[in-house]
Amino acid sequence: MPRIQFNLFKNLLRKPATVKYPQFKAELPERFRGKPINDRERCISCKLCAKVCPDRAITYDEEIKPRFFLGLCIYCGRCAEICPVRSITMTKDFELATYNKIEAMSR
Amino acid sequence: MSFIIPIGPQHPALEEPENFRIEVKGEEIVNVDLRLGYVHRGIEEALTRREYIHGLFLAQRVCGICPAAHSLAFIQAVEAVGGIECPDRARYIRVIAAELERIHSHLLFAGIAAHEIGFTTLFMLFWRDRELALDLKEMLWGNRIHSSETTIGGVRWDIKPNHVPKVLNNLATLEKQVKHYIDVVSTDRTILARCANVGVLTKHVARELCAVGPTVRGSGVNWDIRRDDPYAAYKEVPFKVITERDGDVLAKVMVRLREVLESIHIIRYALDAMPSGPLRVGFKGSVQEGEATGRIEANRGELLYYLLSKGGDKPERVRIRTPSYANISTVKPMLVGGTISEVPIVLASIDPCFSCTDRVTVVDRGTGKTRIMTKNDLRKLQK
Repeated sequence: MPRIQFNLFKNLLRKPATVKYPQFKAELPERFRGKPINDRERCISCKLCAKVCPDRAITYDEEIKPRFFLGLCIYCGRCAEICPVRSITMTKDFELATYNKIEAMSR
Repeated sequence: MSFIIPIGPQHPALEEPENFRIEVKGEEIVNVDLRLGYVHRGIEEALTRREYIHGLFLAQRVCGICPAAHSLAFIQAVEAVGGIECPDRARYIRVIAAELERIHSHLLFAGIAAHEIGFTTLFMLFWRDRELALDLKEMLWGNRIHSSETTIGGVRWDIKPNHVPKVLNNLATLEKQVKHYIDVVSTDRTILARCANVGVLTKHVARELCAVGPTVRGSGVNWDIRRDDPYAAYKEVPFKVITERDGDVLAKVMVRLREVLESIHIIRYALDAMPSGPLRVGFKGSVQEGEATGRIEANRGELLYYLLSKGGDKPERVRIRTPSYANISTVKPMLVGGTISEVPIVLASIDPCFSCTDRVTVVDRGTGKTRIMTKNDLRKLQK
């Protein structure tokens, strides 16, 4: 214990190491992978994203555009990587908790 | 007459519940019984029902602390069966990923060890500095833990020149801090009283029980898969294998802290020596018939993946041998002869994906009665 007392005094004068999250947010890095979204105009309905999805979180709506079920999504970014027209992007939106399962859906 | 009441070992919040049945005579431990297998998740079977490229993401999720190690071992097995050559630059990036993970895992262990001996200040300091490594992972690959940076045939993201200054900066801070912690741990009276000569695992016993990783290196056995069976770019990277002679808890902590320093050197060297070139080669989704093993030095020791393929896009059989499983039997020789108050820190010293150790049954030989103790009871006992 006496050996780290110096650290204790130093930390008293320092600002906290943590960020007070709901009020302040740490800056997210450039490669952060959050909620995936699809640009419906650009999408060519090739179905590659559903093929590479490890969790089968991607299904299709009536226009054959992908629909991401965020309850299954592991945010690996494979769909955005494979997309030939780059219509899928991983946004930086990560606050996705919801009471209603149907809301946990991204298009 | 004695009853054993199995208060369910299921703990949804933790990873690896296990039951240690500890027989005591007064305060002294005379026998230890282990019960494993409470978290059978069927991952090996699930891997055989997935295509390789999907199974990779499942293999990463075997462990919540060492996903890079698990994905790397799986990928090595697949690449060996499929005859896929990984490009040089990707091999160096894999080394950097593995070492960053080793840093954060070892600091996590050191923090837990400090917490188990009731030294919460040091625990906070360790975990604060662990964030430096996690920040780097997040910057380089997008996620703090499940970064999924490797893929079959290479890596998914490059390390760009504008990332390098921050990596070097964080590593410099980390190196300074870890050197200070090594100084603290080796001289502080509280830590020495709780860790020195506690839970001694002798070299002979460690060898006989086939223990792996830092557990066995803390007992003086010079054994490291990175050097003895090199994978990724470890053949080209010079590094020292850290060993300590004593085999007690302190030696295991010191081995891990000194390995963090070694990992920092490896990352610096790899960033410097990284050749330019392509990041990945194409993987068609299926491999030919054959079998292979992927063997790597994960944070806790040797991790082995065995893969049998009958052709096609799914494996026929996958077998995983994790380091904690190899190490768990060393708990018995370390505990027998000690006291109950040593149990938490000795169990923690093998870094057993820690949640293994949350419940202990105490059988009192004098009265023949059985009590089930939780970890909180044990913490109270040791104060």
